[in-house]
Amino acid sequence: MQDRQRQGSDTGPAWECAGSGSFSRYQTDPTFYDEMFSANGEPRDSSRRMNAALAATTSDDLSKVQEGVVRRFLHEGITFTVLAAEQVTEQIIPIDCVPRLITADEWAHVERGLKQRLTALNLFLKDVYHEGRVLRDGVVPPDLVLGCPQYRTEMRGMKAPHDIYVAVCGTDIVRTHDGFAVLEDNLRVPSGVSYMLACRAAMKGAFPALYREHRVREVSGYAERLYATLASLSVAVAEPRVAVLTPGRYNSAYYEHAFLAGEMGVELVEGRDLVMRDAALYARTAAGLRRIDVLYRRVDDDFLDPLAFRSDSVLGAAGMLHAYRAGNLVLANAPGTGVADDKSLYAYVPRIIRYYLDEEPVLANVETHLCREPEGLAFTLDHLDQLVVKEVGGSGGYGMLIGPHASAAERAEFATRIRANPANYISQPVLALSRAACFVDGRLEPRHVDLRPFVLQGPQEQHVVPGGLCRVALRKGSLVVNSSQGGGCKDLWVLDA
Amino acid sequence: MLARVAGEFYWMGRYLERTEQTARLLEYQLTRLVDSPAEDLAAGWAAVYRALRQPPLEAANEAVDAERFLMADAYTLAGSLVEESANPHAVLSCWAAARENAKQVRPQLPLRVWTCLNQGFLWLRGNEFAEWWTRSPSALVAEVVDRLRLFFGVVEARMPRDDAWRFLELGRFVERVQHQTCLLDTWNGFGRRPPAGRRLPWSDLLRVCGAYELYCRNHSMAVERETVLDLLIRSPELPRSLRFAVQRIGEMLSGIDPGGGRYPMAPAHQTALRLAAAVEVEKARRAGEPGGSDFFPSLQRDGRKLHDLIMSAYVDYPAAGEALP
Repeated sequence: MQDRQRQGSDTGPAWECAGSGSFSRYQTDPTFYDEMFSANGEPRDSSRRMNAALAATTSDDLSKVQEGVVRRFLHEGITFTVLAAEQVTEQIIPIDCVPRLITADEWAHVERGLKQRLTALNLFLKDVYHEGRVLRDGVVPPDLVLGCPQYRTEMRGMKAPHDIYVAVCGTDIVRTHDGFAVLEDNLRVPSGVSYMLACRAAMKGAFPALYREHRVREVSGYAERLYATLASLSVAVAEPRVAVLTPGRYNSAYYEHAFLAGEMGVELVEGRDLVMRDAALYARTAAGLRRIDVLYRRVDDDFLDPLAFRSDSVLGAAGMLHAYRAGNLVLANAPGTGVADDKSLYAYVPRIIRYYLDEEPVLANVETHLCREPEGLAFTLDHLDQLVVKEVGGSGGYGMLIGPHASAAERAEFATRIRANPANYISQPVLALSRAACFVDGRLEPRHVDLRPFVLQGPQEQHVVPGGLCRVALRKGSLVVNSSQGGGCKDLWVLDA
Repeated sequence: MLARVAGEFYWMGRYLERTEQTARLLEYQLTRLVDSPAEDLAAGWAAVYRALRQPPLEAANEAVDAERFLMADAYTLAGSLVEESANPHAVLSCWAAARENAKQVRPQLPLRVWTCLNQGFLWLRGNEFAEWWTRSPSALVAEVVDRLRLFFGVVEARMPRDDAWRFLELGRFVERVQHQTCLLDTWNGFGRRPPAGRRLPWSDLLRVCGAYELYCRNHSMAVERETVLDLLIRSPELPRSLRFAVQRIGEMLSGIDPGGGRYPMAPAHQTALRLAAAVEVEKARRAGEPGGSDFFPSLQRDGRKLHDLIMSAYVDYPAAGEALP
């Protein structure tokens, strides 16, 4: 049984046994939107077929499916790297074998919102590195942008090819009873798309008939589209040579870097492979130097170019930014995009959308309090036990406080840190993340989920992959979905009409 | 292909070959544990360690070595070569190193090839040598050899014959030349100066090299040193002969760098050619120097030199002087 306190609601009983068969011990909770069951405990229309199939499957058979999927991940080495106590460990990403479903209409809404958001953010980035209208017009406080550590003065006045600063975007979306909302924009080096593709391949093998019956939209063309998007960014070369830049095999997302390079059929380069000559980038091959025209870099700005950014970095190449400035190299995403996915700026994205597009945001933001503002700071400190507090530059579930789950001592310690550097923190209410059916400990149980869809931005078109990385908080009651914090993933099936 | 990636494929080939060498020698020795006299086992352990260029004991004297092997615990000696993480020649260490190389070249590696290598590693890591020891220790290393054959079967079936495959093969056969010369030198040395009065049977060497059946078919069951060495050095059909390996090296170098074989010949091609010539004329040289030939040490030196030249020409070359395309 869940130990969460019943929360006031008039939508029905707090604890419902939602189904039969494998679902016989599945308990819905009206506090949370359930992806499979409606408030009355009945399967949603889009989930009836899946629900019936799972209910008719014995626990033993589901266990075999789950084991098969995990074994496949293990053998294929679908892993992420965890750095803890100076030890590097390689773990397979936990996967749950029950897919989450999203209807075509729901997806159309998400897709429209993602395209709108990315269009506005690319316009914003161009603006803040050129005229700065958005700052002059008071839409966004100048000090928030210009004082952001991710704002790169080196990029001022530098034109991104086709004005595309963000070519690959991964946006974190949550669902509550109020609908979909954006939790975070990832505009620097968003990761997770390889796990999405691996989940899909595993699910096709695990539930072939069910997959066919559901008429699921395909995600397998992602690498092809990514390559086309990257190649289309090149202005100077008709048939550009594309490469993926990785920090190396100890990076937590190395599997993804290798996977994407392999799928696109391009080289996976590291800093030690790169040589700058005549303001152009070359890779050392077994047959001499070979030019690189487009670099899909999966290395943070700080480490790209020791002449421009961190001087102790060996993960990039000295002079890379000069090559970019000279138009001899395309970097995707462009340096300096982090200013637009800073957690403080996030609160201004709806205003940014209205300012550039003169439209209302399709996807809502989560209510956010900026500790850099006196009211936000006061509210945060007064309601620490009810809020989630995050560092503005944090990621991976690190550096955050979940107020209701923290002890008094932890809250007091965090309050001290906030007071010492208010601009480094934002706070948000604890979200009632939706829950999806997961196969845990031999039975189906609800677990909290979020979603990271991926958007590709080329000069001619935007493409939202019909799917995404669906992250699951596998620990009972946990709201933290990050793989480094006990989270896993599951496949997301976007239904075709 | 990136120079670094070429290096990873090359080292992957070397480590996998090294895994097989260690496993083959262990299989031979562990099979003998059942019925061989203790003195023969001691000589066997000494040969295994020396062939793997392992310094198990500080004493240099062969007779002392053998005595100390006699006293040593076979379990410890075998375990050190199977799962001792501090031992770079241990089967598990070599396989793990090859897997690390493979991880670096995953974009160039067909999924089935990677999966086969990874599955083999996970299987090996999941085994407790102590458990196998109580049942059949030789079966463990025999399984390792089988899994390696499976891996190279998948490589044959799935990998395109491009530079990735060539560097993998190049590494394999450079390692094989170095190992086989050491192995033949070890048996030859034991033949001349047996430790503790024990000689190693030449038929055992044939078995370690997978050549016993071929030998019996082509010659007779009366196994003789000269004929064995001739087969293991000069046979064009035997995959573990020196001639086979150096021919393969030449083929791979020609594929990787076709221009290097033309005048003025690239240093790596020159050295490969010298190795091939040395193997060709070996019989006459050995006939002229019974029992005291510098042949094998000379081959080992050339093998090491070849490795250095390959690395400096294709992997670790200085980019500063490199011409732009």
